[in-house]
Formats: sequence, structure tokens, C-alpha cells
Amino acid sequence: MSTLKTKGKSKDLVLQRPLKSKLRREIVRHRSVYLLALLPLVYYIIFKYVPIWNAQIAFKDFKAIRGVVGSEWIGLENFRTFVNSFYFWSLLRNTVMYSVGKLIISLPLSIVLAICIYECTKPGLRKVVQTLAYLPHFLSWVIMYGILLSLLAPGDGVVNDIIKLLGGKPIDFLSNVKAFPWVVLFSDAWKEMGWSAIIFIAALMGIDVSLFEAAMVEGANSWQRVRYITFPAIMPVIVTVVILKLGTILDAGFNQIFMLYSPQVYSVADIIDTWVYRQGLLEFEFGLATAVGLFKGVFGMILVLFANWLSKKLTENSLF
Amino acid sequence: MRKVKGFLLVVLALLIAMPVFASGSGETKQAAGTPEDPVSIDLWFGAAITEAGMIPEDWVGYDIIRNELGIDLHLTMLPSNESDQDVRIQAAGAANELPDIFMVRRPVLVNLVEQGLVAQVDDCFAKMPVRTALIYDENAIAHATVEGNVYGFASPGAIVRNEGLLVRKDWLDKLGLSVPTTLDEFMEVARAFTFEDPDGNGRDDTYGYGAFVETDATLKGYPGSRLWPIMGAFGVEGLWSFDSETAGLSIYKPEFYDFMVTLKGMCDEGIIDPNWLSYKKDDFRAAWKQGRFGIMYEQNAAYAATANYAPFDANFPDGEWIVIDAIEGPDGKASIGAYDMNYRIYAVSQKAADEGKLDKICELLEWMSSDEGYYLLGWGQEGVNYVFDEDGIPVAGDLGDNAFTGSKGQVVTQLRNMVFYNGDVELASRYPTYVTEVSGKTMSALTTLREMQAKKWTNAIGSGTMPTPNADVQRYYDQSLAEFLTGAKELTQENWQAFIDQFNAIGGAAWNEEGIAKMQADGLIR
Repeated sequence: MSTLKTKGKSKDLVLQRPLKSKLRREIVRHRSVYLLALLPLVYYIIFKYVPIWNAQIAFKDFKAIRGVVGSEWIGLENFRTFVNSFYFWSLLRNTVMYSVGKLIISLPLSIVLAICIYECTKPGLRKVVQTLAYLPHFLSWVIMYGILLSLLAPGDGVVNDIIKLLGGKPIDFLSNVKAFPWVVLFSDAWKEMGWSAIIFIAALMGIDVSLFEAAMVEGANSWQRVRYITFPAIMPVIVTVVILKLGTILDAGFNQIFMLYSPQVYSVADIIDTWVYRQGLLEFEFGLATAVGLFKGVFGMILVLFANWLSKKLTENSLF
Repeated sequence: MRKVKGFLLVVLALLIAMPVFASGSGETKQAAGTPEDPVSIDLWFGAAITEAGMIPEDWVGYDIIRNELGIDLHLTMLPSNESDQDVRIQAAGAANELPDIFMVRRPVLVNLVEQGLVAQVDDCFAKMPVRTALIYDENAIAHATVEGNVYGFASPGAIVRNEGLLVRKDWLDKLGLSVPTTLDEFMEVARAFTFEDPDGNGRDDTYGYGAFVETDATLKGYPGSRLWPIMGAFGVEGLWSFDSETAGLSIYKPEFYDFMVTLKGMCDEGIIDPNWLSYKKDDFRAAWKQGRFGIMYEQNAAYAATANYAPFDANFPDGEWIVIDAIEGPDGKASIGAYDMNYRIYAVSQKAADEGKLDKICELLEWMSSDEGYYLLGWGQEGVNYVFDEDGIPVAGDLGDNAFTGSKGQVVTQLRNMVFYNGDVELASRYPTYVTEVSGKTMSALTTLREMQAKKWTNAIGSGTMPTPNADVQRYYDQSLAEFLTGAKELTQENWQAFIDQFNAIGGAAWNEEGIAKMQADGLIR
């Protein structure tokens, strides 16, 4: 209830404005914005919230013929199957390794690229670099696999040709357990770095140019400008990106791994999603697949809440 | 502005209401099955030519099927990749939205049967006398049988024993070598092809053997069928052994370890293309056309069909591959590979059966095997897509792009796998003899096929019905063998035994026992 503080009690009653009426007024006043928000809202309700109802099959022995409601409750059996899987810890380790690794490698590279593009004084060069950096994002992992094979194949890959030229022994990057994780991490960075840089470039565009001018007048060099102006200015964006990424920490990139992996590198390549694909989808264990999805979601949510709390405490920046 | 907002509101209202109408009215009227009131049938099929497009909407077959059978046919092409097909079918199954009739692999069919989503079709064969006589023999029916009941129509798939061991004869001649007949000779040839510059270009860019990992869940266990001729020399080709003395998973045979030692030796020596573990099928096929290796295991049409041979012919006009016999191992064993009968299963959803569509589906399948249906689905329209030659074989003639082999005409044959049964007419039509463009060689994929089929093969009929392990056991099996080959795990007797013990412990032994029980129950042990 909203009240306007006045001396007289009767006046106080008259000026009291019910919440409902205020809300309605707000909606009417900003009706265009609400109208715009309606379409995404409908999308989220239909495609994100309604399906939550079906998540109950995570606790059921799902039989399609009986449907979601008619299937038998089995408690936490599907979760037990997942956790007791022979490879559970290996799957979890690989998944977290790739997620965290991508965050550690891709994020700084994206920020550096964004700063480089922003600082570039030649508009033509900036456009070329931007376009080239975005391009790999639009290639599917099927095409990327072909490119990587041409680059990394032990027989006639470009990289191995160079290694051989320098007197080294060829490395089968796609089949070697030590090399494979780096291939995954750096190929992802190469593919997504340019695209991820967009948000940072947008943040950089929002910095008041007079700050840079003042710094230059004061004699700050390029590195000092980046350190004392650019970084603090884009820090809230970095924090937001990190927190959002933590929400999907158990999504290590199914498409990429699925295209690149093979039995010889299963030990370092098999992630939760590829396991769910083989055991859940191909074996018609939809209850199990849903249970793992739920597990990932809850795990991600806990991490987001924790990261948000930590960020608020340490940097005073947070998502909510 | 107000009008625009009004329009947007209407659109949003429709969007919100859409899910309500998506499920239909709930009441479905039983169609009469006449041209005026046709029964609607959804068919999800496996395309015959995966790289070509969908059957056009103005395809003459739609009208014929509607007018003659009273069926309104709706076609959907399944993805070409088997795993993608499985996911598509299983996802539809999970939503209880399977189409009326659909192509499905047996492991998926078994899952769907367990879920009660597929109709029994035991009584249907009597309703399709022509088709049953042509296509559904005892083995075919057994392939779609689960727990004593038939749940699908299994028709012959790819031609069996259509792969072979091929060697570059021009390389052999250049190096003065003869065709290898034993494993030792095979190794010598592979070494010579790797180290003695068989193509004479002065570069160290050739290898003895070329392969890629081609596996499946029931017949081609890791490291896959492309290594079968070498496995055959040890008697361990095929995932399962149906031999009465060694019935069970081939991995338990002591000779499997010997094969692994041999293959590891080939990897270490560098006489097998080092890319073999990374290659996908297309990479492998591009590699032999570029002259990277001189011995390979390849399928007849992939090697000898006009379009497939052309790049090799252009690159190496003097090059020549020959199909050779299976090589003999240390104990005199030899086999090109293991073969099972290949079938494509079409299953009918329980929902379609409940809606009374089963008889109409039988009618449709029977029509497909009539002369009219057979030629229409197999080759298109006479005079438009094909003409008969003097032997009564459908040929492209001078019909150009509209011919069944042309880029426009081939799309009307996308359903041909539903009617073909690998008869002589089909094979003669599919694999015509031709003269290569650059070297002027006379080639025939049919002659190559007959050569390959005449070699020594191992009967593994029934493999397709064998049980499959869970994802963990499968991964352990594949990963361990791969690690032995790459050297990540040292290949010693001790480590091999440790691998077998662990494999047994996590479910391999149970899988093996289940398989043996299945063999015994189905009388597959020979």
C-alpha cells in the first residue's frame, strides 16, 4: 500500500492509493513496453514453463503409452542410476573441466579481442577483424571438424607438417588423450571468441570518452587507461557473464564433443550430455535423461546463487 | 499506431491459443477409405538417395494411391544418419506421437515394443500374398520378431557380402610384388607400399593399409569392419561368435588378443594410415581416391559405381584396384568378414492400429509390390524417368536429368527401398557396365559385387537380433580396445586379462550370457 504522509488523518485516507490501481496505471503508462515483453513471455511460458510439468518423469519409470501422469513413481531411482554409473565421476570431471576451461580460456580472450577492436583506430581494419572473428561462430561443428582434421591430422595435417619440418614426431591431436582437451578448449575459443566479444564491445561503447581524454591529458599510457578505466567500467558485464555461465556449468558443449570424440579419447572426452545421449536417448531411458537434466539445472542454480552472493560480497557487483 | 497494437494483440492471442488447438478436436471420424474420403496414413521412410531431395508434392504416386487405394499418403524422410533416425523415432515414441508406419532399426523396435507403442502384425502377412512371397521370408519375419510376436515388416536391406579386400595392382606391379595370400605376405606388401614409394612421386606419402572405425552394436564390434580381413586371419571377425565351441563375444577368444597385437604392430610400424582413428567414412573414401594407401576394405558400389570411381580414375588413369581372396592367418584361418542378413524394418504404431488403419497399411504395402507399384517406386514413370532396354531392364536411356539416375528424376525413387528385394532386374539396373571417362576402363559394380560375394565369408546370421549392452559397458569395451591400440594402455597379456576381468565385472559377462542364451533360444549356434 502506498501512502502520502500528511498531517491530517482524513486526508491520509483520501490520498491512499491501492496497489492494484497503481499497478494498472503503471501498466497503462508503459503499455508499449509491456506489449513488447508479451511475446517473449508467451514464448517462455509455452516452451520453458509448461514443459516443467513433464520434469516429473525424472521420478518415474516413464512409459510412453501410459503418459507422464500414468507412469509409475520410482522415487530417486533414475538419479541413483546416474550417480552409480561406472563413469559418473569421470563424466562429472570431464564436464566441469571443459566448462571451467572454456570459461578460463575463452572469456579473457574475448575481453582482449573486444578491447583490441575497440582501441583500433582504423575503421576499415576494425570491420575486417570483427567480421573474421565472428565468422567461425556461424560454422557448424561438422564443418569445424573437417577444418580441424585438415589442420591436425597426423598424416597430412598442416600442424603436423610443421612439426615434422622442425624434426618433431607427429601428434594425433584428435586421438591423443593429452592433446584432445586442448583441441576442444582452443577450437571452442577460436569459434566463439568473436561472438562472445560482442557484449564486451557493447559495454566498451558505453564508457564516457571524456574519461579517456582526461587520462591522456594526465599522461596515462594505453595500459594504464585499460587498467584504470576500461576494466573497472566493464567489470559489471564480466561479472554478469561469469554468473550466467556458471548457471550452465554442466553444459560443456554437446555438439562439439559429439563431433570430435572417439573411443580412444573417451576417458577425457565423454561428458554428461554425451552419456545421456547414449544411455538416455538411444536406450529410450527418457526418465533417466530428464533426471540428469534436472540434476544439471539444480546444480547450475546453486552455483549461480553462490557466485552472485560471492560477487556481491567481494566486488559489490551482482546480477540480483 | 493503435491499429498496429491491435494487430499485435490479435497475433498474440492466436499464439497463446495455438497449443489449445494443436491437439485437435479430440474426436476423429473414421474415414471410409475411398478416393472421396481417403484414410490418412503418415509414413516415415528411409530415403534411398540421402543426398537427394524429398519426393515432390506433385508426384504422380500420390494421386494413384489416393484413387486406387483410398489412401491419403503423407511422407516424411528420416535423417540419413542411423543415430539421428533413432533419436527421431524414440522422441516421437516418448511423446506417443509415432507416425502410422515408420522405418526403425531392431534395437529401437525392441524398446518401442517394451513401451507398448508398436502394433503386432502377425496376421498381416496373409493379407499381402504377393509381397510376402517376394519379400517376407522366414528369416525376414524372424528379424522383426520380439518375444514370439512379429512387430514389423522386415524387407531386405543392403546386399549381403558386398564388401571386399582390395589391393592396388599397379603398385604391386611397380614394386614387383605378387598378390598377398597369407598374413605375412600381407604385411610385406603393406610395408613395401609404405616405404618403397609405390606411386613413384618421390615423396613419403603412401601407406600400406587404409581404414576407419566403422562399428555397430551387434555385428561390427570395435575396431570395426574395416579391419575384418585382418581379424579374419585370426578367426575373430564379427562381434559375436556363433561357433558351437566358442559361442559368445569374440573378445573372449584368445586369438582376439593376437589380432590386437598384430594391429598394434601395424600402427607402431606406420604401415596403416595414421589417420585411420580420426577418419570418418567420407574422409576415408576421399583418401583412397587421392592414392594414400594401397590396401583397403571397401563396399562394391562405393568403389566401382560410376560417380564413386570417377575421381580415382581422374587422379590415377593408370591405377587399378583388384579384389583379392581373404588372407590366411598363422593357423590357416581366413575370412573377408562376418555377414548377417540386412533388413529394413517398417513398424506400425499401436495408435494407427487402434485407429483401424492396419488393413489399409497392408493394402498399401501389397500395392507397392504389384507391378505398378514396384516400377513406379523403383524407377518412376516409364518414358519419363526410365525406359526398358532390350532385356527388359529399366535404364536411363536418353531421358537426361529426368531419368531415375538424373538429378531431377532420382527424387521420385526415394521410396525404392520399400519395394526392392535385390532381384536381378534391380541389380542389373542399379549397377550398369560402363566405360570410365579418363582411362577408358570397363567397370561394373555388379561384377565387383559378384567377385566379392564369391570370397570366403563367415556366417553371422542372427547378429542383428543379439542383445546390446548399456552405455557404460559399450564405452568400456570400445575405449579399452582403443587405448590398447593408441598405446595409452600397454598391450600385454597381464593388462589384457585385467581388461577382461573389469569388463566382466561391470556387465560384460552378463551381456555375454544374455547373448549366448539368445543364440540357444533362437537356434543360432552352428
